[in-house]
Amino acid sequence: MLTLFAEAATLDLTVLAKGIMMGFGMLGPAIGIGMIGAAFMNAVGRNPESSKSLGQILVIIGIIELMALLVFASLFIIK
Amino acid sequence: MLNLITKFSAEAGGPAVHITPAELFQINGIPITNSMVYGWISSLVIIILLISIVRKMGIKPSKGLAQFIEIGSDFITNQMTSSLGSRKKALYYAPYFVTFFFFIMLSNWLGLLPGVGEALKIGENPIFRPFTADLNGTLAAATIIMIFVQFFAIKESGLIKHISHYFNGSLKNPLTIFLGIFEMFSELIRVFSLALRLFLNVTIGEVIISVFSYLGSVVAPLTSLPFVLLELAVGALQAYIFVMLSMTYLSVAIKHGAEHEAHDHDVEEATA
Repeated sequence: MLTLFAEAATLDLTVLAKGIMMGFGMLGPAIGIGMIGAAFMNAVGRNPESSKSLGQILVIIGIIELMALLVFASLFIIK
Repeated sequence: MLNLITKFSAEAGGPAVHITPAELFQINGIPITNSMVYGWISSLVIIILLISIVRKMGIKPSKGLAQFIEIGSDFITNQMTSSLGSRKKALYYAPYFVTFFFFIMLSNWLGLLPGVGEALKIGENPIFRPFTADLNGTLAAATIIMIFVQFFAIKESGLIKHISHYFNGSLKNPLTIFLGIFEMFSELIRVFSLALRLFLNVTIGEVIISVFSYLGSVVAPLTSLPFVLLELAVGALQAYIFVMLSMTYLSVAIKHGAEHEAHDHDVEEATA
């Protein structure tokens, strides 16, 4: 029991911080891009004409992707 | 064999990750970074390439690289036509946006060449780094294009009318003034979001390539190849997104001033 605590005291908390940040930070953009994809496929299923708006979809994904990239870039700031 | 691999990865001591450009030398106290050096080289290459291609272009369909440039500029001009609403306006604004598209796309792609990045080093610092993997570079690009947008919006509709389009509704309402100032502030935010998006995409691409060539150790070219190919697509897509977003900002900014002209353009196009 004592050795366990001794190891826990030297636990590197930055690794934990990086893991939590990466997990929760990527969660939002992933849900967002998933919703965009679902909405796009729904629209194409209802009206095949709308498949030509793929360019706009990519732009919106680019906007959301910025959040995920900010999280990824912050990984290197935690030391 | 396993011994060799572990030895190799142990020597490297983790993947080389650089988020910021490194200073190479100074001229009169002005630091010259590796991104600046490669930015100059790549803009020289792009200028020579585009000028030599433009001389070959004619009415007849061209072959090779010229065809690629023609497809790119036609694609952007068509997007602008659908976004601005008239072909005439699109052709007027196209040169600025097509230039930005090709500059960003070709600097992204030139940054993927072998030798750029972590390969060649002076001491600790790599000699070359892609121009768009530097926040200063992308911030300059975004600032220039947003100044273009504001300049054209003021030119189209006049200064007073341009400022007044931020304030929708009666000025006696304090909410209108608050929302107007908020709108003006969001123009400033757009500069940073454009710059950050391009910078982070290219930099994270560099990091991912570096991480996967570290994981591959002996077979590094094989493990990093899929990500280099991915970055080719991302480089083109980010150039497209940068230009599309600034185009949308331009069309929103000039549309309110040109509503009465739109009717005339439709008549012109119908008769032409």
